[in-house]
Amino acid sequence: MPRIGRHRHQLGSPLWEAGAPDEVRAELDFHLEMLTREFEARGMSRDQARAEAVRRFGDPARISATSLTSARERDSAMRRSHYIIDLSQDIRFAFRQLARARAFTVIVLLTLGIGIGATTAIYSVLLAVVLRAIPAAHPERVVYVAERYQGQTSNMSIGNFVDVERQATSFDGLGAIVYRSFNLAEGEAPERVFGAAVSASLFKVLGIPAALGRTIANDEDVPGNDDVVVLSDGLWTRRFGRDPAVLGRTIRLNTRPYRVIGVMPPLFNPTISDEQLWVPAAFTTTQRAQHDEHYIDVLGLLKPGVSRQQAAADVDRIMVDLVARYPNANIDRRGTVTSIADVVLGNLQQRLFVLFGAVLLVLLIACANVSNLLLARGASRAKELAIRTAVGAERGRLVRQLLVETGVLAVASAALGIPMAAAVVKVIVARAPTGIPRLTETTIDGGVAAFAIVLAVLCSVIAGLIPALRASRRDPQQDLRDGGRGAMGTVRDRVRSVLVIGEVALALTLLIGASLLIRSAVAMERSEPGFDPQGALIGRISLPEAAYREPTRVVQTLERIVDALTAQPGIVAAGATSQAPMGPGGGSNGLLAEGRAPTPANIVDTRLRMISPGYLQAMRIPLRRGRAFTDRDVSGTERVAIISEETARRLWPGEDPVGKRLQCCEGSEADPRNKTVVGVVGDVRSSGLGSPIVPEFYLPIAQAPDVAWDWIQRSMTLVVRGKGSDGSALAGAMRTAVHAVDATVPLDRVTTMNQAMATSVAPARFNTLLLTTLGAIGLVLAALGIYGVVSYFVSVRLHEIGVRLMLGATGRQVVRLLVVQGLRPVVIGLMVGLVGAAVSTRALASSLFGVSSLDVPSYAGVTLLLLAVGLLATVIPARRALRVAPRSALGG
Amino acid sequence: MPPANAKDALHGTLDALILKTLTWGPRHGYAISRWLRDTSSDAIQVEEGSLYPALYRLEKVGWIKAEWGVSEIGRKARIYRLTPAGRRQLRAEVARFAAFIDAVQPILLSE
Repeated sequence: MPRIGRHRHQLGSPLWEAGAPDEVRAELDFHLEMLTREFEARGMSRDQARAEAVRRFGDPARISATSLTSARERDSAMRRSHYIIDLSQDIRFAFRQLARARAFTVIVLLTLGIGIGATTAIYSVLLAVVLRAIPAAHPERVVYVAERYQGQTSNMSIGNFVDVERQATSFDGLGAIVYRSFNLAEGEAPERVFGAAVSASLFKVLGIPAALGRTIANDEDVPGNDDVVVLSDGLWTRRFGRDPAVLGRTIRLNTRPYRVIGVMPPLFNPTISDEQLWVPAAFTTTQRAQHDEHYIDVLGLLKPGVSRQQAAADVDRIMVDLVARYPNANIDRRGTVTSIADVVLGNLQQRLFVLFGAVLLVLLIACANVSNLLLARGASRAKELAIRTAVGAERGRLVRQLLVETGVLAVASAALGIPMAAAVVKVIVARAPTGIPRLTETTIDGGVAAFAIVLAVLCSVIAGLIPALRASRRDPQQDLRDGGRGAMGTVRDRVRSVLVIGEVALALTLLIGASLLIRSAVAMERSEPGFDPQGALIGRISLPEAAYREPTRVVQTLERIVDALTAQPGIVAAGATSQAPMGPGGGSNGLLAEGRAPTPANIVDTRLRMISPGYLQAMRIPLRRGRAFTDRDVSGTERVAIISEETARRLWPGEDPVGKRLQCCEGSEADPRNKTVVGVVGDVRSSGLGSPIVPEFYLPIAQAPDVAWDWIQRSMTLVVRGKGSDGSALAGAMRTAVHAVDATVPLDRVTTMNQAMATSVAPARFNTLLLTTLGAIGLVLAALGIYGVVSYFVSVRLHEIGVRLMLGATGRQVVRLLVVQGLRPVVIGLMVGLVGAAVSTRALASSLFGVSSLDVPSYAGVTLLLLAVGLLATVIPARRALRVAPRSALGG
Repeated sequence: MPPANAKDALHGTLDALILKTLTWGPRHGYAISRWLRDTSSDAIQVEEGSLYPALYRLEKVGWIKAEWGVSEIGRKARIYRLTPAGRRQLRAEVARFAAFIDAVQPILLSE
């Protein structure tokens, strides 16, 4: 016989009325009494018999003790066995009940299934993108070391990095990363490969050994000895067929030969930038002295026991010293230490958490609906529950049984929700904009499934507790007498009203949040970019350093390419720039107006663009004052510059900048090489729509400082514009022109300006789409919830309505009465929700553009929408009642 | 097969005796010890200190079950009865005991 069932026969016996000690004592006392009587029967007196019985009995204390132990063991074994039997009984009973109430079960399963499915899907995305640690030997100790400039985290300069590495005491290692594109020529087709030049110490910081071969050694991180390369697993698979013989082979990167010394495992991705290969950084002495070009990334391994704050203070202290020693290179700079996630994910983290918050709101609304449904169901089962109470079932047992029923529903919903989540994740991953790191790693694994089940259990408690408590509290006599009718509850059912208030408040918050983000997105897309993207095509070229060492040769080739482009049929205007809007590249320099002292207050950090003369026309950046560059602005003639309006505002507020001179980028005390401002152009939102306006300035490529070509690694963006509005038709022409000038120069990342803009707003748009979907689901659920509750209220008063109608009330009067009653909780919910929304949308403030978190149109619009939905959900059942009520009144 | 050690042997025998007693109907603890005394002519006198732990143990494994009932003197008493599982266990014990006797008898009881 199975051990579980062995106490089955003892169900229902009030076994544990007394505790075990009392029981045992009672049993032993009885035995003693019987012994006493036996001796009395043999002729002893009562006292003698008693004494003899006690003597025979033995030491009562010892007997009690051993008996008690056995009794207790027995009792706990029985309790456990009973519990399991009860539970399995409850579950079987629950299944039967649910199978009988099919409509109810289906609705609850769907409601909870959608809620749990959506929440699980977003959670799994959160897990993959944000919560999972970067693969490293000690992930909690790997940090991103950075400078802070104007409140923002900023890249480091090589000079600063060298000093920080030398002086910092908080790290077991620091590694620098310089991202670069390489022309990989090996065997057949050359290709552009994204990679990085890194310190040898970077591999130690991450603590991940090479899968094949080895990583960069310290003595290879030196100029002259640095012709080694480590491949990524992806590149090794794609281009080298996972051939182990790749070790020792020589490949040509940017026409230089490099020897392959190792291959990294697939998970090695220090900043999730997906670089394909790593070469030594091998900083030269010149580079190591350069404190003013801030473009490298630095990762560090904290010493065990050192906190991030301590390390940040350490780096900051060093930076303060560096600011004092190199004031012009390090204006306004501080040091900091942050997590890699913060840097790589940026505000994506916040966006995802907001999304998660939104989906939880939807889940809560779903729970409120289910709670409502359970209340209704409890009312309809009043008779059955009354009978069970009357026959002796205690309240705890009933509550437990009802909770088990809700639990079964919840777990079944989880079973529905998990595959739903898998489908949703698939859609999200397919439709999401590119550039969300690790999104493709999102999977529904055991951990996520466990989350879904835990969520389901929580929901069942949240949704089911109050209905279970209420259903088991009833007065059995009352219920049995009424035949179940009076058990519908009172007209002023507080709990149901509270549920409606809650749902409305949650839905309002959700929809207001979504509305704010939608309006943000619209404002962003309407904002002026500062140029005309329609019909423009861009492409990126990179001149290999070996063949184009001399700056004059670089400039010549660029000019020839631009001429070749302009000569192409279909191309109306062409130009080249070191950084196009939303494009890669570019750096910033400090500008100082001539005659002003070089103090931090006077130096304006400005983005530099080196452009060909035709660029401004090709991009249709409006010229506000003065003139654009011409072919006559060449090396040897007067040095000129064009600045943006913002730059003019900062350098010469209120004055006409044309003709004034400024100092930047090159020169010394003896030979300042100042440049004359010849023109002012409109501001350009270079980081995409919705990005802030930053100061910019332009130099002609023919006059660019020699060292600037190193800064930008001889990479430029070409721009062409045709007659039509679709730039993509010009791609072939662009390629032909470049090829004609120099066939070895690769052209890649050819895209229309419109596409580039769309890509830059894609994440915001996608986010908005998701939130709107959640908002809509929340709205529908809330509407259903309101409808359900109002229908219930109406059905309770059916009799009364019928009587009123018979006594002469018009239909309209009755409807008005019902609607007012039904809308009361809705209105309260709106008021609560408005307060809640005002508070919670503050969390969105940093994601908003052009809209405040208390945007009146959003608040008003959503409130009216919910009011209208509430009205509809109230009027429909009210009007239906009119038809049914008279029958009910007559039927009594 | 003979029991492994003395305690088990004692337990086993006592268990069998209690189970067998209950085949004649439900009894409370005193009645079981009294019946055993009477039937064995006072040869078997179960100590109360062993009886009740044995009863609780048998109850725990489900071979007997107990209920509070009214005794013949009018006071509440805990009445034990045999369960179907207990019945099967008793049969096994008796068979084991009979096999033991059969094995030992020709050796110890022959001259």
